[in-house]
Amino acid sequence: MSDTAQETLVTTASQRPPFYRDATVVKWIAQVATLVVVLFALIFLALQAGDNVSAKGIKTGFDFLDVDPGINLNGTIDNDPDTGGRALWAGMVNTLRLSIGGIVAATLLGILVGVTRLSKNWMASKVASVFIEYMRNIPLLVHIILFFAIMQTAPSFSDDVGPLNGWVHFSNKGVSVPRVFQADGFYQWLTFLLIGAVVGNLVRRRQQRVQDETGATTYPLGSLVAVIAVFGVIGWFLHPLFGWLDGVFSTIAEAVDKIPQAAMQIALTVLAVVLAVNWIRRFLNSRRTPAGLAKLTDDDWFRMIFAGVGAAIAAAVIWVVWPGGSSWLINSTRDLFEVASDKFGAGRDSWQNDRPLGAARPDFAEGRFANPGSAGLNFSAGFAAVFFGIVLYTAAFIAEIVRGGILAVPKGQTEAAQAIGLRRATMLRRVILPQAFRVSLPPLGNQYLNLTKNTSLAIAVGASELVQVGQTIGNQTGKNLEVFAIWMLFYLACSLTISVVVNFFNVRLAIVER
Amino acid sequence: MSISDATTAVSEEMASRADMIVSDGVDKWYGDFQALKGVTATIKEREVVVVLGPSGSGKSTWIRCINRLEQHQDGRIMVDGVELTNDTRNIEKIRSEVGMVFQSFNLFPHITVLDNITLAPIWVRKKPRGEAEQLGRDLLERVGIPEQADKFPGQLSGGQQQRVAIARALAMEPRIMLFDEPTSALDPEMIKEVLDVMKELARSGMTMMVVTHEMGFAREVADRIIFMESGEIVEVGPPEHFFTNPTEDRTKLFLSQIL
Amino acid sequence: MSDLLSSEIDLEKVLAGADEELAVRPDEPSLPPLEWAGKNLFGTGQGSIGAIVRGTFLTVIFAGLALLAYRAVLNFIFSENAGWDSVRINLRLLFTQAYPDENYTRVWVTVGVVAVLAGLSLGMTKVGPGFSFKRIATWLFSWGGLIVLGVLLREPSVLTDSNGETRFADSRGVELVRDTNNSLVYQNNDPAPSTGISALRENFGAAMGDRLGWWIIGLALLAIGAAIWFVLGDLRRRTTFVPAIPLALAGIGLLVSTTWWYRWGHYTFTEEGGFEYGPGELVATSTRIPWTIMFVLLVVAYLGGRLLARATASGPIRIGLSAAWLLAPFFTYYAILRGPIMDWAHVVSTDLPLWVLFAGLGGALLWLLTRPGLGEIGRILAVVVLAAAAFTWVGAFFGWFSMLQKVRLSVLFLGLTALLAPNFIGEARQRMKLVVGWVGFITIFHLLVTLINTASSIETPSEDFAGGFMVTIYVALFTMLFSFPLGVLLALARTSRMPLFRVMATVYIEAFRGVPLITMLFFFTVFVNIFLPGSMELSLMAAVTIAFVLFSAAYLAENVRGGMQAIRRGQYEASDALGLTTVQRTGFIVLPQALRVSIPPLVGQTIATFKETSLLAIVGVFDFLRMARDVVPAQTEFLGTRKPGLLFISAVYFIGAYAMSKYSQRLEKKLGVGER
Repeated sequence: MSDTAQETLVTTASQRPPFYRDATVVKWIAQVATLVVVLFALIFLALQAGDNVSAKGIKTGFDFLDVDPGINLNGTIDNDPDTGGRALWAGMVNTLRLSIGGIVAATLLGILVGVTRLSKNWMASKVASVFIEYMRNIPLLVHIILFFAIMQTAPSFSDDVGPLNGWVHFSNKGVSVPRVFQADGFYQWLTFLLIGAVVGNLVRRRQQRVQDETGATTYPLGSLVAVIAVFGVIGWFLHPLFGWLDGVFSTIAEAVDKIPQAAMQIALTVLAVVLAVNWIRRFLNSRRTPAGLAKLTDDDWFRMIFAGVGAAIAAAVIWVVWPGGSSWLINSTRDLFEVASDKFGAGRDSWQNDRPLGAARPDFAEGRFANPGSAGLNFSAGFAAVFFGIVLYTAAFIAEIVRGGILAVPKGQTEAAQAIGLRRATMLRRVILPQAFRVSLPPLGNQYLNLTKNTSLAIAVGASELVQVGQTIGNQTGKNLEVFAIWMLFYLACSLTISVVVNFFNVRLAIVER
Repeated sequence: MSISDATTAVSEEMASRADMIVSDGVDKWYGDFQALKGVTATIKEREVVVVLGPSGSGKSTWIRCINRLEQHQDGRIMVDGVELTNDTRNIEKIRSEVGMVFQSFNLFPHITVLDNITLAPIWVRKKPRGEAEQLGRDLLERVGIPEQADKFPGQLSGGQQQRVAIARALAMEPRIMLFDEPTSALDPEMIKEVLDVMKELARSGMTMMVVTHEMGFAREVADRIIFMESGEIVEVGPPEHFFTNPTEDRTKLFLSQIL
Repeated sequence: MSDLLSSEIDLEKVLAGADEELAVRPDEPSLPPLEWAGKNLFGTGQGSIGAIVRGTFLTVIFAGLALLAYRAVLNFIFSENAGWDSVRINLRLLFTQAYPDENYTRVWVTVGVVAVLAGLSLGMTKVGPGFSFKRIATWLFSWGGLIVLGVLLREPSVLTDSNGETRFADSRGVELVRDTNNSLVYQNNDPAPSTGISALRENFGAAMGDRLGWWIIGLALLAIGAAIWFVLGDLRRRTTFVPAIPLALAGIGLLVSTTWWYRWGHYTFTEEGGFEYGPGELVATSTRIPWTIMFVLLVVAYLGGRLLARATASGPIRIGLSAAWLLAPFFTYYAILRGPIMDWAHVVSTDLPLWVLFAGLGGALLWLLTRPGLGEIGRILAVVVLAAAAFTWVGAFFGWFSMLQKVRLSVLFLGLTALLAPNFIGEARQRMKLVVGWVGFITIFHLLVTLINTASSIETPSEDFAGGFMVTIYVALFTMLFSFPLGVLLALARTSRMPLFRVMATVYIEAFRGVPLITMLFFFTVFVNIFLPGSMELSLMAAVTIAFVLFSAAYLAENVRGGMQAIRRGQYEASDALGLTTVQRTGFIVLPQALRVSIPPLVGQTIATFKETSLLAIVGVFDFLRMARDVVPAQTEFLGTRKPGLLFISAVYFIGAYAMSKYSQRLEKKLGVGER
């Protein structure tokens, strides 16, 4: 190839077409125009809302969080909250309790039902499929309300209402079961467990290495569990050793409190700018070639401009639109550390009496009407209806996912495993289940999300959780819009958490394919 | 404009024909991997060019750039005197003049064979439906499967599918046909039926650019062979010269591995 | 990920096979009963004692569980104080709330429209071979067995005295009587013990005698099943098929015919429009005759559909039928059920001229825009029309001039259609297609807007005349209708190569999928009107429907996106290489394939929406659930009686959702999705 010919050609620069025929420009004009229309519509609605609200004389703002809402809750950590924020917090705790308990129970039950459904035994498989079809094809809300109606017509509470007197009571007051509770020193004990987990992981890795190198059976997983157990036992008696963390956390809280708002704003702005610059740098790097920077297309320029615009918008929000956000962030961080300090402060000096966990059986409160006492774990009728509703309903879906996952493992895998002489148990553990789990994980994550969102149906039976509490406060104070914003943030945070956890496992389990 | 390429042996007659495809210093990167390194070549009217090379040598990328299925980052591509740029009008014009046949057929599975062929003539060339259908049936006749018109692609064998794909590309009455490894996904017994269609097409005077591993086809039909390796054109020449007396060492190595 | 999907679904095979008739495949041969039971219940045949012990153990445990549950359900359903009257009396309330009796014909006309459409569709669809006699016999065995088992399991009925009061006995079975204070005592006036008292029940033999009718039904089913089983023999019962739809029609016919001889309702409607609870009556004639008419309509339409399917021009008929299904919800809801009072003066002075204007001038504009060789002028004109549309909306915002909302929307639609026009440039037939499509669309749009804006002639106690199951069904239907296009658009945007569209669609989808539906419903019912200009106001029904549509669209978009991921990149490349425009590629190549693969998840989404409508009960709409939970238990006769109503609506929901999910499973099988 002759170099001269190439040079002469390159110098005749390409002509740019008129903008309305340039594919890239037309593409971006369409996008920006749509964005502008959407933003315009949103701004229009927001302005309209502002007008309408001020016309009605309603004041907006989050001050209701610090005022006594004058409501009573049931079955929460604080049934008579003294501020709106505290009430919402109690609601959130209940939502989380329902969700986490529900996820654990529904997963266990779902796996059980799913495996039963796959059983070769006709009877077992039929019973499982009737259960699944019944739960799946009727709305969850109808299930919950039906359970609630059944609970309400159950026999009235007494100490011999059964079915297992002194341990499990099922009555029109709900369900009472024994309770395990955190006592003072629990968090110190938790620190022990955490250290145990870290140490155990090191031991596990070492054992694994030894096993890999020598072929000796060293029980890596078993040693992890053993180390954690040893730390748990030691911590059970020595937990006040970690009482000093109390002081550490309170010191941090004080330090955080001293950060001026401007510093936080600057830090956040810097963060936004750094993120944008970093993105642009990474983008340019991906376009960089050994021969130098590749020719950037118009598309690339548009992308980089939008990264810059994003940073500018973030800065505008931090400084102009919502300057209070920074101080809110400071205060929340301080509060977080103060709470941690409180938790570690409790029971730091009691060597003799306090154990980190306690347990108690349900008792019987005297009064004009028979009521379960405070010792045991009492689900009110509404709470029990919601809990059983979401658990049974989600379990039916999880069962189908588990079944689908196991069926999705190709038959060839079983045959191949048998061909290399694996025993049945090893085959299940090492070949079938890992693949089945990989298929089931994404839909499983979806079900966990659904379960978390479905806890909001508790409002139909008056059990207190975030939506029910928020709705009550909204009706009392007229701050429905603000409550709605809190709902959104909370549930989005939950969704995000679940997505992140599921994604973490998903990435770890993904089969590397070309 | 014409390129005086020292390694290209062009006959007098060929030189007088019009340039159909001009590729001039075309560069293409995927991240920091350079797939095409200054690829420069000219393809004349009614010429059949076969592009050879080991896998990953950039042959497919190059042929796809000519149809703007991939966007080249530097250099210029001119097709029938129209330069490939961001200009929507140019892209439309080139795409309706260049037919493309893919390795994996890419027939539309949800419509019948005849609809596959008539879709573009009706909606892009704006032909009346009756005329388009007549054209479609004629083309099916030409590729030797007139009886399959009302079947769905999934009901056809691989060779038949690829022949439909050729008919679909021909239905746009293109001036240039690009073939991206048209026989690589076929069972051996079906390769011949596709190659026969391509030979017939070459004899009818179509300008063709073919990426393939079929050495027999290259030897028999090609006017020129372009050999590529790691994104560069290594050697260009007429088939008899290329197969019997290659100049470059890399070409010799390649030929010794496959022949 | 897309590789994974496409390897599971062989799209080409799926799409090629979808249009063929399902092949007739004989059922599997059956094992002899003993061998079957041994293999499936007692783990024999695997050659290990462990398997037999495990199998028998499982069977005993699960059979015990199943029997206990079955018995509990039976005892509740047939118990004397279950309160089924609260359902029986309130059927009309449950299904249509307070819809006035004198206008009930409208409800039946609506059901009739649906029956005709369903019949036509059933007649025109290609279906598989149907059910083999083996399966039918198995069903008969199962149902007969279940009935006989139920008769044996259910506890004997409670005995009542001459006054109809329940008789009681103590734990040893000694009967108690009521003294003058109406408290229970022994015959000799000794006070009754405080625990262990239960209702006195008849003995087992007498109970079996009382249930003679059930015995006959159960044994008859078993006998018919056995007859089919043994008369046909193994090969013939596996290879002889009964077509599914005629079988289903026969079943429905049997059900409808029972209204003529079985006392379903025990109540009848009086001349004044109220109802009477008369023990001697069969089901009310106001119900019996309409149901029979509906059945006849269904059958006639089915036969008509069969005829039409054989007609040469069945393609346009099918399209017309689909369009009728799409329009039916609007038509039945606004034209029939509301009984609009047309203001003819306004129609003649405003509506008709507007229609002529938009249909005529708009059609002419589109005809011009599709002239071959128009070039960029067409696009520029379309943008001008869109700008005009935008201007009318901005004008409305600042109150510069007043204008009918209908006109604003029409101009907007005209602009959007004009933007599509370049794709239809070509011969006259092609251009005519666009123009006819536009005229048809604008006609239906104007008609609907007129109907919706016209006052209703139906007078009801509450603001919204619809209620009960009717509102459940309509909210679900409107939700699916409107969320479908929105969901497809969102899916297209999310898979687009244009980053801003992708970001916008992703934010929307994740935001709506992240929050519970109930919060969205609160949002739309409590403060949607805060966000609207003073002159506009949304009714409760419109507000909740919008909430459902926006919510459901986010989920639907994800389903369609899944379908799009199954499409190989080569399909896009081939379309591009042929020179199809983006709109043509999306409309002819991408969407048809993506939607076919997404059908099963889309049916799943429909089921979910159908179930989710129950949340309406929380935000103050009188839907099906609200009727059973709040309205019926508030009646003085049935104060606090919730369980029967809830069980009844559970059954209705179950039938709807189960039927749809079975249909989706059949489709999945037909499409070969998820098969290995």
